Amino acid sequence: MAGKSDVAGRLGWQLASFAVFFGLWELAGRWPVSAAFPSFSSTFLALMEMLRDGSLGRAYWLTLQPLVIGIVLCGVAGIGFGIGMGLSRTVEWLTLPVFIILQAAPMAALIPLITYVYGIGLASKVLAVILLAAPVIVMNSYKGIRNTHPSLIQMCRSFLGTRRQEVLKIVLPHAAALIFTGLRLGLAMGFIGIVIAELLITPTGIGDLITYHSSVADYPKMFAAIASIVAVAALSLHALERLERRLFP
Amino acid sequence: MFKYLAAALIALLSSSAPAQSTLKYALGDVVSIDELPLLVAVERAKKRGVNVEVTAFKSEEIATQAVINGQADIGQGTPYAAVEKVNVPIRFFYQLSSLQFYPIVNKEFYKSWKDLDGQEIVVHARGSGTEAIMNLMAKQQRIKYKNVSYVPGSQVRAVGLLKGNIKASILDASNKNYVMKEAPGKFIILPLGRVKASDEALFARKEFLEKNQAAVAVLVEELIRVNRQINKDPGSIVAERKKLGLLKDLPAKLEAEILPYFKEGVETGIFPNDGGGERAAKNDLEFFHLSGALKSANTKVENFWTFAPLKAALAKLK
Repeated sequence: MAGKSDVAGRLGWQLASFAVFFGLWELAGRWPVSAAFPSFSSTFLALMEMLRDGSLGRAYWLTLQPLVIGIVLCGVAGIGFGIGMGLSRTVEWLTLPVFIILQAAPMAALIPLITYVYGIGLASKVLAVILLAAPVIVMNSYKGIRNTHPSLIQMCRSFLGTRRQEVLKIVLPHAAALIFTGLRLGLAMGFIGIVIAELLITPTGIGDLITYHSSVADYPKMFAAIASIVAVAALSLHALERLERRLFP
Repeated sequence: MFKYLAAALIALLSSSAPAQSTLKYALGDVVSIDELPLLVAVERAKKRGVNVEVTAFKSEEIATQAVINGQADIGQGTPYAAVEKVNVPIRFFYQLSSLQFYPIVNKEFYKSWKDLDGQEIVVHARGSGTEAIMNLMAKQQRIKYKNVSYVPGSQVRAVGLLKGNIKASILDASNKNYVMKEAPGKFIILPLGRVKASDEALFARKEFLEKNQAAVAVLVEELIRVNRQINKDPGSIVAERKKLGLLKDLPAKLEAEILPYFKEGVETGIFPNDGGGERAAKNDLEFFHLSGALKSANTKVENFWTFAPLKAALAKLK
């Protein structure tokens, strides 16, 4: 009983936080802070209109393609690289500096350079997602492998476990939680990458909705497109976090 | 007694208060050779006591935002949609230049407008002037494009054409010349009827224009003078640039393009001698309605343009 009321209480606080935020937004829009700042209600109505006329659905279909391709590629190759770096000193020395530099580099400055090599199509956008997501995924997998508790490895060796058994039965299961966290953070970076690419390379999908509605001064629709991508990113990450908690309690 | 003195003092102060002598000018583009007429006019206005601070923003939208929010006094561009929608009264008052674009196709694939039926074309952005021109031509030629893609920047589209990623697009004068020079015989310019809409126009908040008539009139006067001088002799802008020391760090390659750019502009009549006025306003409303930027069908000229600054300047110049 106490548990139930606890959950209700928490939900109440969360709803109140949203209500306060949206209320302040509405006030700021009606005041207004700027002639170009729409109220929450006009943004919400614009969002509903974009859902109804199908423009939001079409935009997400275009935006999610490079995002999914990029994250799947990073998931396979990135985790592979990370595990390789964690298990082999040679691979580590060869590739670690690249990922450290990529993690530190200001990506918004690098993304326009992609167009010089890969043009303006889907490949450039996939690469933008990979450039942002890969370092996090690789580094987390690498650290997950490296941080395996030494006593567990010693135990495996004292039971005459082979290297293969050591990796498959001790190291990988131990690193799985951190690898999954890397994937989740990689997806967050992927959302940043795809939106930057759609704004800086060629306007497609959500980037197109943002730039087009900004250029024709339809600010409620522009804010609705931005708010929708924030909501989609936040909800996807929240879902992954819940899955993570269930898989690795 | 004191009341009269105070009233006299206020009257004296308000009559002698100079009009704002610094105009903050927001440009949504990189300052390059096409901005030379503006830069010359700015220098000349400065000599007449009107300082114009030109700030180059990343895009026209940001420059427009600066004017809407009062951070800039005058903006350059054609944000008709913003003027229609935003509830701050903004008015255009001067046409700097009219549109000059060239539909260009790769000869290997297309040779005429009819060949573009059912094909993919690339323009600057959704709702842009370039898209409107291409749509206008499709209507005239009774063709339908398969798909319209958006690649912002003539320069980027020019590289795309040269690399073969783009087969049909539309470019500005300098990039058209660049493409034709880099790959002679590879591309064809498709014929285009004269498009009379504005490429660049000046706009400001209505209230600002009313309060700063004198300073705005000086700038408009000088802009008209420069355009008239260029129309008489395109070479004058090259001499003027040297004399005033403008765009000193321009690369030699671009420097050589100044004269051809202005010669071509004068031939196609893109620099108005009279600041556009009612003719420009009418053409713009028609064109931007067609492009989809303006939604309302019964747009009134007085909701977009004010002709007082231009009339005042023209009266002085005659």
